[in-house]
Amino acid sequence: MTDAIPAGAAEKREAGKSASQLSTWLAAGAPTLVVIAVILGVMEVASWYTPSYVMPSVSSIGGALWRLMTLDLHHVLTTLLRLAIAMTFAIAVGTALGCIMGMFRPIQPYLRSLVIIDAGIPALSWMLIAVFWFRDPEIRIFFILSVIIIPFYALNVHDAIRALPKDWVEAIGTFRPSLFQIFYLLILPHIVPYILMTTRSIIGYAMRMVIFAELIGAAIGIGSAMGLAQGAFEMNVVLAWTVLLVILNLVFQQAIGLIEARVLRYRPEATIR
Amino acid sequence: MSEILVENVTHHFDAVLAVSDLSFRVERGEIVALVGRTGAGKSTAFNMIMGALKPDQGVVRVAGHDPFANSKALRGLIGVSFQNDRLLPWLTARGNIEFGLRILGVPAAERRKRADSWLEQTKLDGAGDLYPHQLSGGMRQRVSLARALAIDPSIVLLDESFSQLDHVTSKTLREDFGALARRLGKTCLLITHRIDDAVEMADRILVLAPPAHVVMEARPRAAGASPKSLQESIERALGGEDGAAEGTERTLAGGRPALVARGRVA
Ligand SMILES: Nc1ncnc2c1ncn2[C@@H]1O[C@H](COP(=O)(O)OP(=O)(O)O)[C@@H](O)[C@H]1O
Ligand SMILES: [Mg+2]
Repeated sequence: MTDAIPAGAAEKREAGKSASQLSTWLAAGAPTLVVIAVILGVMEVASWYTPSYVMPSVSSIGGALWRLMTLDLHHVLTTLLRLAIAMTFAIAVGTALGCIMGMFRPIQPYLRSLVIIDAGIPALSWMLIAVFWFRDPEIRIFFILSVIIIPFYALNVHDAIRALPKDWVEAIGTFRPSLFQIFYLLILPHIVPYILMTTRSIIGYAMRMVIFAELIGAAIGIGSAMGLAQGAFEMNVVLAWTVLLVILNLVFQQAIGLIEARVLRYRPEATIR
Repeated sequence: MSEILVENVTHHFDAVLAVSDLSFRVERGEIVALVGRTGAGKSTAFNMIMGALKPDQGVVRVAGHDPFANSKALRGLIGVSFQNDRLLPWLTARGNIEFGLRILGVPAAERRKRADSWLEQTKLDGAGDLYPHQLSGGMRQRVSLARALAIDPSIVLLDESFSQLDHVTSKTLREDFGALARRLGKTCLLITHRIDDAVEMADRILVLAPPAHVVMEARPRAAGASPKSLQESIERALGGEDGAAEGTERTLAGGRPALVARGRVA
């Protein structure tokens, strides 16, 4: 036997990774910190020369942020819950539609046309339509988010299945699997990276859509709280919410990154120089 | 009854006639090699035997079943490996070997036991937890062969399974697989464009000319058969000056691979 087995190579790489991870993060974070410091500096200086409804001081924004995260936490949690429910639903339905398109040829052109038409309807139209169709604000928000997000998953999952190597299908077919086994053992693991990638690219967009939907018609949630603050000329509160949303987006991106690293650990790491 | 029966089989793709009136049998426990140049229609014949393609005319039977019309009847009976390893990247070597057993509904503990035994038998000890991208080409092909054998099929079908590897790796893998298949008494159909693959492994060699039909039959293991003269007569049967294009690749004494065409070093 001439092939050498790289015993323990994987473990060694894991160990090396965690050791250098902290310094990598610091190095990657440093430019971000510089940018944040400059933005805060400019805001502070601007606040000295303008009324507080144009540019409040950094400390008053900080104070407002503190109040949001303590007294107004229910707004944050409500918004996150709405986002989580709608995203879960959209992932399930979108993935199912994508799989049906990928696995059942005759239905595919009809379903794909439907999804593409949906994808072409502006988010604003859905928001206005939802106001006419539904009274309950929770259902409105859920509806708006679902119809906006589902096409992303449906189309990406369908494309993922189309990109499934024919070689694999043929090789697995020699074992004579059932259709369910093909789905469960081949298609599902194959589309997971595509689902994660889609989530990463639309999570920020989805968050903005919940907030818009809340602004239009909800009593609680970040969007409605921002609407109230704007009505009361509380610029520091509006900016505090904005800061919080930026932070939330960073947290989402990090979280998805960690999930990807865990779920996709089988992938070789490509280094492009 | 023959394990594999191919009778007057013809197949064409639009204007291209790929297989023309092909007939042969493989008996139980026999290792048969189909040899032919690239484009001779070997893979087309192979696909009809494994049930991926329907013959235009003629009869194909594998273990007595029509592999295309009655595809599910071959569940658990055939193990197939290809030129490329076709491993699933999200499964470890062990997970890939277990794949067929999973489809057949073998319980997890039993699967693991059998996969570990196959890792050992295919000389992959210690590689069980590695993912395909962490393995060399030769090791990946071993995993692919182990995946085909793990379900304990009575018939093993190999389409150019040793052809893409370097010569030394290909030779050791061939020897290991040949010994294993013989020990286990598997019926084996091996398809290759490399004469040395066939001469080394097969009980019987069928030489195909395009569009795939048998032009010569040889028994490299019969008494008095000389591998060298057999090699030359197969080269003649494959025929044509451009036989050298595909050539028969052999490793020279010094271990340096060279292209040997019709006795001349090119
Ligand atoms: N799917 C296909 N569509 C059209 N032509 C094909 C297809 N597969 C094979 N062929 C043609 O059939 C002939 C035989 O191909 P193949 O069976 O792959 O040969 P081999 O495996 O011996 O190299 C070739 O001329 C090839 O171009
Ligand atoms: Mg071929």
